[in-house]
Amino acid sequence: MTDFLPILYRELIIYKKRLFKLSYVLSALISPLIYLAVFGFGLGENLTVTGTNYITFLLPGLIAMTSMTNSYIWIANGLNIDRLYFKTFQLLVQAPIKPIAILMGIITAGIIRGLFASSLIISVGLLCCTSFSPNGIFWLGLLLNCFMFSTLGVIIGMITKSHEETAIYSNFLMVPMAFFSGTFFPLEKLPFFVKPLIYALPLTYSTILIRKSQWDRVTLLSLFITIGFSLMFLFLALRLIKNYRE
Amino acid sequence: MVISIETKGVWKSYGPVWAVKDLNLEVRKGEIFGLLGPNGAGKTTALKILTFLTKPDRGSCKIEGLDIWKYPLVVKSRISVIPQEINLDKELTAYENLLIYCMLHKIRDKKHKIEEALRFVGLWEYRKEEVRKFSLGMQKRLLLARSFLNDPSVIFLDEPTTGLDPHIRREIWTFIKKAKDKGKTILLTTHYIEEAEYLCDRVAIMNKGEIIACGTPQELKNQVGLWVLESINDTGFEYEFFKTREEALLKAREKEGPVTIRRSNLEDIFIRLTGEKID
Repeated sequence: MTDFLPILYRELIIYKKRLFKLSYVLSALISPLIYLAVFGFGLGENLTVTGTNYITFLLPGLIAMTSMTNSYIWIANGLNIDRLYFKTFQLLVQAPIKPIAILMGIITAGIIRGLFASSLIISVGLLCCTSFSPNGIFWLGLLLNCFMFSTLGVIIGMITKSHEETAIYSNFLMVPMAFFSGTFFPLEKLPFFVKPLIYALPLTYSTILIRKSQWDRVTLLSLFITIGFSLMFLFLALRLIKNYRE
Repeated sequence: MVISIETKGVWKSYGPVWAVKDLNLEVRKGEIFGLLGPNGAGKTTALKILTFLTKPDRGSCKIEGLDIWKYPLVVKSRISVIPQEINLDKELTAYENLLIYCMLHKIRDKKHKIEEALRFVGLWEYRKEEVRKFSLGMQKRLLLARSFLNDPSVIFLDEPTTGLDPHIRREIWTFIKKAKDKGKTILLTTHYIEEAEYLCDRVAIMNKGEIIACGTPQELKNQVGLWVLESINDTGFEYEFFKTREEALLKAREKEGPVTIRRSNLEDIFIRLTGEKID
């Protein structure tokens, strides 16, 4: 049960060392704050979306986006580099621990990274937006979002054959998902022909979950779909680690 | 005679290319066994199969009598691997690298074991330094230190001294010899003739995925002849093998142009068997 701890420990030491580097802070934490400043504080007071002011609408979306990006990117890039360049992943494969322990160690590290990056936006939201009050559904959605995208990060980190290939997934899958899954505008406003595509994206459902204030049919459906995506990614990621071959 | 590592009929292909063909090995407990051959001979693939980085298409592998695919966790706890590429976390300190390895292998008395290992390779004073600041030689020594932590019965080394200066190479050889003195079984791959001759009790020469000769360096040399007459003809170098120096001298008198008579080495065996040079 505790076999994942060495992997988590390793990831956290590396994270701690990188945390205070300017490049990390800029890429991981500052950019969502810029979105918040430009769209939220710039338009927030004058714009009403789904019956609430824009900043209250935007904040949960930005938190979903930040947690997704930080959980996913660090895992996908890190795993890819560890596997192909530094070869430190091989050390885990050769250690007397089960593949599930390797996976859980990496995923837990991704969740922590996602939660940490989100905490900054949450703090700003709590300070600057009086109507922003995270509830139980919010925290559940956030946790599931981090879990789901850490696991997806493992899949991408395992299947890509170069660092450039990982970047392609980031640019052509994650970036559009970040913008079109209801982060900046309500899904109802989208043209009907793009809706099937949007509703095929996992971030769409976790964003709905993070934004919801009460349990209803849509909340439950989003929860089940998010769990479904998470389990599917978990199964695939475990298979990839179990069947790792060079 | 106890067998530590055993492979039977192991085949491995990458697409249409057979990297390993019918590999049958028996490495005795406590010996240094070398897989010698040119690049692409299948040495590293053989090592990857034995160290869980790839699976053979067919055949069986046993370490200490255990089928490695049936009992992976037990086998993994009894082996150590020193890869060709330095797989240390460069951002972490030497101590942190070893600590994580200890945690992965559930090693008790971590502090003591790490200190012992770092002192053994002369890196205790550098334990708080980040590995990226280490020279290549220091990083190789740290890999060696790490490989001793779980007190393995079998150590696998893939090209342990490739790219190292001659004096660092000698230093690494000393540590490998010390590991043998501690009773470890060592399987190493190399394409350095000198390394195989100096370190290995027995050697298997590989070419194009197959073992083409196996035995002690002396046995192998005896098979082809202890003396070599090297001469130049129209097509390049020509090598002829003789049991005694006198026989080689006699033949040399028949030659026109410069000739060299010298003791044979493992590369000569490779040349004799394949008609090619190792490098």
